[in-house]
Amino acid sequence: MKEWKVLEARGVHAAYDGEDVVAGLGLVVRPGDFIGILGPNGSGKTSFLKALSRALRPREGVVLLGGEDIYSLPARQVARELAMVPQESQLAFGFTALEVVLMGRNPHLGRLQGAGPRDLEAARLAMERANVWHLADRPVTELSGGERQRVIIAQALAQETGLLLLDEPTQHLDINHQLSLLDLLSGMCGQGLAVIMVMHDVNLASQYCRQLIIMRRGREFARGTPTEVLTAPNLREVFGVGAIVTRHAVTEKPHVIFLPPSGEAAGAPGPRVHLVCGGASGASLMRELLEAGCYVSAGVLNLGDGDAEVGSALGLRMVTESPFSRVSPQAHAANLEVIRVSDAVVVSDLHVGPGNLVNLEAALQALRWGKRVYLLSLRSIEERDHTGGEATAIYRRLLEEGAVEMRDREALLSVVKAAAVAPGAGSGPRPAGSRE
Amino acid sequence: MEGTLTISQRLAALQRRRATVLVALGLLLLLVVVVAVALGAVNVPLLTSARIILKRLPLLGRLLDATWSPTEETIILSVRLPRVMLALLVGMGLAVAGAIFQGLFRNPMADPSIIGSSQGAALGATIAFFFGINVGWGGLSAVPLFAFAGSMGAVILVYVIARSGGRVSISSLLLVGIALSSFLASIVSLLMVVSEDRMHNIFFWLMGGLGTGNWDMVLAVLPFVVSGSAVSIFCGKDLNLLLLGEDRAAQLGLEVERFKWLMIGVASLVVGAAVSVSGIIGFVGLMTPHIVRLLTGPDHRYLIPGSILGGGLFLVLADTLARTVIAPNELPVGIVTAFFGAPFFIYLLKRRKRAII
Repeated sequence: MKEWKVLEARGVHAAYDGEDVVAGLGLVVRPGDFIGILGPNGSGKTSFLKALSRALRPREGVVLLGGEDIYSLPARQVARELAMVPQESQLAFGFTALEVVLMGRNPHLGRLQGAGPRDLEAARLAMERANVWHLADRPVTELSGGERQRVIIAQALAQETGLLLLDEPTQHLDINHQLSLLDLLSGMCGQGLAVIMVMHDVNLASQYCRQLIIMRRGREFARGTPTEVLTAPNLREVFGVGAIVTRHAVTEKPHVIFLPPSGEAAGAPGPRVHLVCGGASGASLMRELLEAGCYVSAGVLNLGDGDAEVGSALGLRMVTESPFSRVSPQAHAANLEVIRVSDAVVVSDLHVGPGNLVNLEAALQALRWGKRVYLLSLRSIEERDHTGGEATAIYRRLLEEGAVEMRDREALLSVVKAAAVAPGAGSGPRPAGSRE
Repeated sequence: MEGTLTISQRLAALQRRRATVLVALGLLLLLVVVVAVALGAVNVPLLTSARIILKRLPLLGRLLDATWSPTEETIILSVRLPRVMLALLVGMGLAVAGAIFQGLFRNPMADPSIIGSSQGAALGATIAFFFGINVGWGGLSAVPLFAFAGSMGAVILVYVIARSGGRVSISSLLLVGIALSSFLASIVSLLMVVSEDRMHNIFFWLMGGLGTGNWDMVLAVLPFVVSGSAVSIFCGKDLNLLLLGEDRAAQLGLEVERFKWLMIGVASLVVGAAVSVSGIIGFVGLMTPHIVRLLTGPDHRYLIPGSILGGGLFLVLADTLARTVIAPNELPVGIVTAFFGAPFFIYLLKRRKRAII
């Protein structure tokens, strides 16, 4: 087995014209590493990869291969140590797939030396690994985008380098080939290959990469294991998208669920709706109310609760309490303050225990302030009452005092929306007794 | 799934087929040269003309008796052979430059004049005619010397303008080449308009022709074409890599900037030399590589030698037709190359029914 060399970048600044697209990035790649680079469009991922692969000379800083400046080494020597799979490849003229892959043997061959049995064997192995050996005789111009991409990957594998750089190699591949490519690379990492890969799919990155670098505006925003780096606040800050991070049921790696964008979440002109929820009973209501143009707040929720995570990801105004704690008087007061400036209160079909019983009382207070109160009841309150009847009693009072009980979510949403556009649905507290 | 053996055998078969094409082209070229020398206004039998040429070879020549008239020998050795040789070299040079530029620019429309060399040569020659310059060097008159200087000057200018930050981008080379060519062409037209009596000379030079061919010209062009061809044959693999894009070629071990510089230099010198002795002969440099590509495939290790042989073959044939169809008068050879070459190319294209590039 060959001796792998270490690739190291120190303080790399790279620019095309004037402004730096990579601003001070460093990296050490050791044998067996599997490093993923994430980041929004234009964050400098591709440029960084180019700088590492001797294609874009850094304006400042160095890239070292085995301790030597990569830009002072001959291209052939670098090509024996480091292979790169670009995002887009040109494959003009009608070479067969095998001929294209054999070009990957170029750094190992003399000027007039043709491909020998050793090279054919390397090409065959690479093509089998990339699953394109059956296309060996086909002209590359006749292949599909995904097949061509795999031919280029085979070409890079045929270089038999210790370092493999890939720029979004999976973007033309269907899910089956994406996974088999990543499995292949992951397996080769176990034998000493070092992989650096620019990726778009956060979850694939989480599954396969041992180290992740999130880039933003040419700089390193975060670096570490997937668990350390893939957090909802990081994803919100870098990509500007809400996300819920859970554990993958099988691999236990972080699993990211992105939420639909909700640009109007803050300061939206729509009606102010306060949500009383908990567990996971309010998550989809939050999104649906936001989409309906409402200004949504929620409370009181225990931190770590599913609804609390979704609410925070969506950027809702929330009143929270410590995990697994009874709602304190302070939190209850804060909740009432929020309710005071709301137009309506929606109570999800939550489970009620001694800890969150006061949230129902808050809804009762809302009614008495003249707010509309809607009760979503997919299951009867008795099923959800874990207080020995107290919750049911308050629920009955809510109904008696004019709260509207809805049996399905869609009906609830349409009523809330209709009420929002109806006259008199202004904000601010109204005197008691003015309810319809 | 096929085993390694069958795949490698098939690859070897493919390469054998391509090599066979090259050998066939070479043999055909030899035959055409001999026939071309024999054909002409004065009929010299095929065998006689072959023997006149062979007599000139060392060793072999001693075995042959001179059974021909001195007139025949003069016609063959001083008139026809240099002209055929010139056609051969110019055709080779234009075709190899065309193949290089098509590979370098990854553009099927690239031809030898793409970065200004032809219009530069045209301006040089026009200036020589216009001012009636009468200098000579090494047996060459002012027109080819000025044409060569013009060609080199234009290419260097294009290269310098297109260069930025130590790199030459292929697309800016292409655009600057086209812009400068148009500019130079306008000056040529202007000079033609105001030159009146010499307009005819300029016009015919621009049409291209080998009628003035002599041994001095052959010897002047020979080193350029031979060395240029040799260098580009050595670079076949590198040109293949460049088809994958410059970044990818570099990642596979090619020093791209140095290589582009080398290829542009080689092709420009060859084109400059060819144009300076023959004027502007269109079509050979553009179409020969395409026609050869249909036979050998896109691999430059075969395409380059194939284009060299094919270009020589094509222009020798065309020039022979040009000087024989309406003998004793001559057609400009550029008319012949386009008249026969274009339909032949279209025929091949339709028969192949597949994208050629």
